[in-house]
Amino acid sequence: MEWRGTVKRKLIRRGTKSEHQALVLVTPEAEYKLRRSGGNPFWDETLAELEDRQIRCTGELDGNEIFMSSWKIEA
Amino acid sequence: MATNKVIVTNASALSSKYGAAGYGKISAALKQMVAADTKRGITAKVIALDSKFGMAAYGAPVSSPDNTRAVKGAIDAIYVHEKPDYILILGAGDVVPLVPLINPVYSPKPDEDNDKTVPSDLPYACDTAYSTDINRFVGPTRVLGRLPDMVGASDPQYLLKLLRTATNYKMLTPDDYQKFFGLSAKVWRASTSLSLSRLFGNSTGMNTAPPSGPNWTAGQLAPRTHFINCHGAHRDIAYYGQQGENYPTAHSADLLKNKIVPGTVLATECCYGAELYDPAKTGGQAGIAYTYLGGGAYGVFGSTTIAYGPSSGNGSADLICQYFMNAVMNGASLGRAALEARHQFAGQYSHLSPTDLKTLAQFYLLGDPSIHAAVIVPHSLNQTKAFKSAFAKSKDSGPRTLRRERLHRVGKGLQKDLPATRATKAGAGAKPSPEISRILAEAARESGLSEHTNMHFHVSPKARIKTEDGIKRTIHLLMSNTASGKKRNAGKVKNIVAIIATAENGKLMHLGRLHSR
Repeated sequence: MEWRGTVKRKLIRRGTKSEHQALVLVTPEAEYKLRRSGGNPFWDETLAELEDRQIRCTGELDGNEIFMSSWKIEA
Repeated sequence: MATNKVIVTNASALSSKYGAAGYGKISAALKQMVAADTKRGITAKVIALDSKFGMAAYGAPVSSPDNTRAVKGAIDAIYVHEKPDYILILGAGDVVPLVPLINPVYSPKPDEDNDKTVPSDLPYACDTAYSTDINRFVGPTRVLGRLPDMVGASDPQYLLKLLRTATNYKMLTPDDYQKFFGLSAKVWRASTSLSLSRLFGNSTGMNTAPPSGPNWTAGQLAPRTHFINCHGAHRDIAYYGQQGENYPTAHSADLLKNKIVPGTVLATECCYGAELYDPAKTGGQAGIAYTYLGGGAYGVFGSTTIAYGPSSGNGSADLICQYFMNAVMNGASLGRAALEARHQFAGQYSHLSPTDLKTLAQFYLLGDPSIHAAVIVPHSLNQTKAFKSAFAKSKDSGPRTLRRERLHRVGKGLQKDLPATRATKAGAGAKPSPEISRILAEAARESGLSEHTNMHFHVSPKARIKTEDGIKRTIHLLMSNTASGKKRNAGKVKNIVAIIATAENGKLMHLGRLHSR
């Protein structure tokens, strides 16, 4: 599957033991937490460069998390 | 002779995964387990839920392995007929599914709890009929555990290993469980320290991440009691620590090979701490719960989804894990420890909050429920020839029957008497009274919550409970929208994320605050 949107840092899962600042892909349809297989699910330095960038990415959607297999910065 | 333990599984699902040869090996291993149980004074029976022959005495077989309603019906029918002291579910969710209970604090908003459902074994431990409402399952009565094979596996070796552990297990002494491996995310060290102190009298030696982990030595992991309070994530092989915005790996399945001592019992508070998933999704490495069991651990008590708990003090996940471990250390079987933990957790309040309901549903036992990790300290009478001769054949079955009677009574009582907590539908009825609104607004201001969303619930007493006419109890959660929930206090940053008000007819009864982790 493929998605296109802007990556924003947002506080997610408020009030739970999983509350944290996450990189979220904001698309017209929905927002998804971005993850990378093998990456730290709470803060992945490899993905940090995507913050505030517009990207196109491919991967697997699992719940509301995208496990990205590839991505390209468009703007 | 009465059946004390039923081992329920789906034969077709196992055959489909492992082929006829693999299923044959599993059947042989189960026969050995049954024989070993017989020597322990437990009469065990393997029942394939999908077998017309196997289910003949009970009811309709399960035709589709993912039909949770049918599975629940089948397990209930078996329980009514056999009244077993133990129910062992054999297989992961692709063999015998977990029930997808509705998460009472689910929100579609990406910044809140997005677990739409809570995969749970709790309904199988209850007498009430199938439902996806957790309120229907607040009074479990059955001692139950799940021995999971690998999701998506085609080689039965992992399951055979677990069956060997359960077949050949030896009861250890209480002293064997007095030393602990304790691990906490640094931000939660106060809470974890309290848990460990309550269990062991002290928290000396507790590890925090950072700075410690994940490459623990075998010596560090040698204690048989593991109590872990870290972050966990969906489909992830590790637990994580936290200090500020730093989330270092604290514990990782790929670093545990040959380091888990047989007989270890793990209680993990972590979100998704006991989630079962196909290792193919994590590069072939199974998760921590699977790895502990595969290394010879007797049991894992953990969560299938996002969990709750405070940063200091004890609540939710801290408590249910403490109750479980305390019972294990005092000689309860793993399954009885899980049931007693559920009872103690559900019964400690006048009503269960929405997050407490989720906690009750999400924590479950992975392991043979009939395993007694630590021997019960016997009375001196038990050491006499007369006593041993009297109970040579029946062993513990008599006292166990009495224990089950008590547990059944407690569970029934909880289900009858605990009020239900349900989300209030949007509309005028959902709004808190002016007094509660004012108090929440003041509390939010003082807590630094400038932007927030609200969730409203009503607490409904059971029909048989006589209450004063017109009494209406409501719960109002005010959740912080942003990281604006920070309060600077003498140089310390406290992240406050939710205010919870309990009201009766619009009058405040209780006010609480959840701190972020």
